[in-house]
Amino acid sequence: MLPVFDVVLAAAILVSAALALWVRDRIAAVSGFLVTGLLVSLSWLRLGAPDVALAEAAIGAGLTGALLLRSAHRIPCAPSKALPPSLWCAAGALAIAISGAIVWTVTSFGAAPVYPSLVADNLPESGAQNPVTAVLLNFRAWDTLLEIAVLFVALTVVIMVAPARPRTAPLGPLVQPFARVLLPLTVLIGGHLLWQGGHAPGGAFQAGAVLAGGAIALGLSGVIGSKLTRQNGLALLAIAGLAIFALAALAAEVLTGALLGYPAGEAKTWIIAIESALTLSIAATLFLLFFGPAERH
Amino acid sequence: MTAFVEALGLAMMLAGTAFLVVAAIGVWRLPDLLSRLHVLTKADTAGVALIAIGAAIHVQDVAATLSLALCTLLVAVSGATTGHLIARDQFNPSVADAEEGA
Repeated sequence: MLPVFDVVLAAAILVSAALALWVRDRIAAVSGFLVTGLLVSLSWLRLGAPDVALAEAAIGAGLTGALLLRSAHRIPCAPSKALPPSLWCAAGALAIAISGAIVWTVTSFGAAPVYPSLVADNLPESGAQNPVTAVLLNFRAWDTLLEIAVLFVALTVVIMVAPARPRTAPLGPLVQPFARVLLPLTVLIGGHLLWQGGHAPGGAFQAGAVLAGGAIALGLSGVIGSKLTRQNGLALLAIAGLAIFALAALAAEVLTGALLGYPAGEAKTWIIAIESALTLSIAATLFLLFFGPAERH
Repeated sequence: MTAFVEALGLAMMLAGTAFLVVAAIGVWRLPDLLSRLHVLTKADTAGVALIAIGAAIHVQDVAATLSLALCTLLVAVSGATTGHLIARDQFNPSVADAEEGA
């Protein structure tokens, strides 16, 4: 039964991706992209990677889809003349070359990777029971610090480009009851994902994305208006994650002599502190990426 | 007893899937936006609720049942709200136009 499901899933991913690429209507294309993202996150689940599935569903499909929908009206219409065949051929050749390289890499991967056993052996001293969190916040915390820096750079670029903020209009009598149900739930689910990250799939990125989703729904419903988004406090919150992470790295350097080498036995406290700061900061960053920066005076 | 409970859960999930299939056929075959919304929002919520009940019967676990109830609640609330918003836009398109011209 499950092989049938997998084949149908793979076919559905290809079909929805093709729809997203070739449908003429822009909204339909974005919908195709959203469906592709959801199906891809299902396939991550089938591949046994629920952490990636959560991130893909929340950020890849949800928030990226919202950003694309927000931009769909603003970008001028695509040129009606078709792309030259040479460009199509070049893109096709590139895609085939990349797929070939991936297939070659996977098939030539003789020995089993050493990472899983290394992580499993050292998990008890990492301060997290979830191997993914142990890698992200302890063994390879350096990489995560740089990822947060990338998010910060993206926000900086958006602030410099200063896009027009979406104009929100009151959306009718049903939206406030909707927000009353939705917002407490996003806070609850965000907190749950953050805490769960210690021993099961979850963590700061997923929790931050869920919080940002709730905040964006609230912003779009016009309930908070643009008053809150104009405050610089949100931008400060957005950069606080990177600042606290970097400070923690330096503090660990002073305490133990290793950058991001947490003091023995206290790793869990450090990880929870960093992840909590990151959750709020990621939520603020994603919200600002959607609504545009605070206005300069 | 367990065989009966399992069969009950399976029947619930099958009924839910049937609702979703009907919703899909409705979106595909019905002529205009409002009738499509009508079939989608109602059959969708009923289908997801039935599948969640069937799954809850199968797992027989309080925490998992609560998660399933939460999923059902979110689908029901967001389905009803987005259906309302889309229908409202159909009758009163000025809101969307204002955003488009922003």
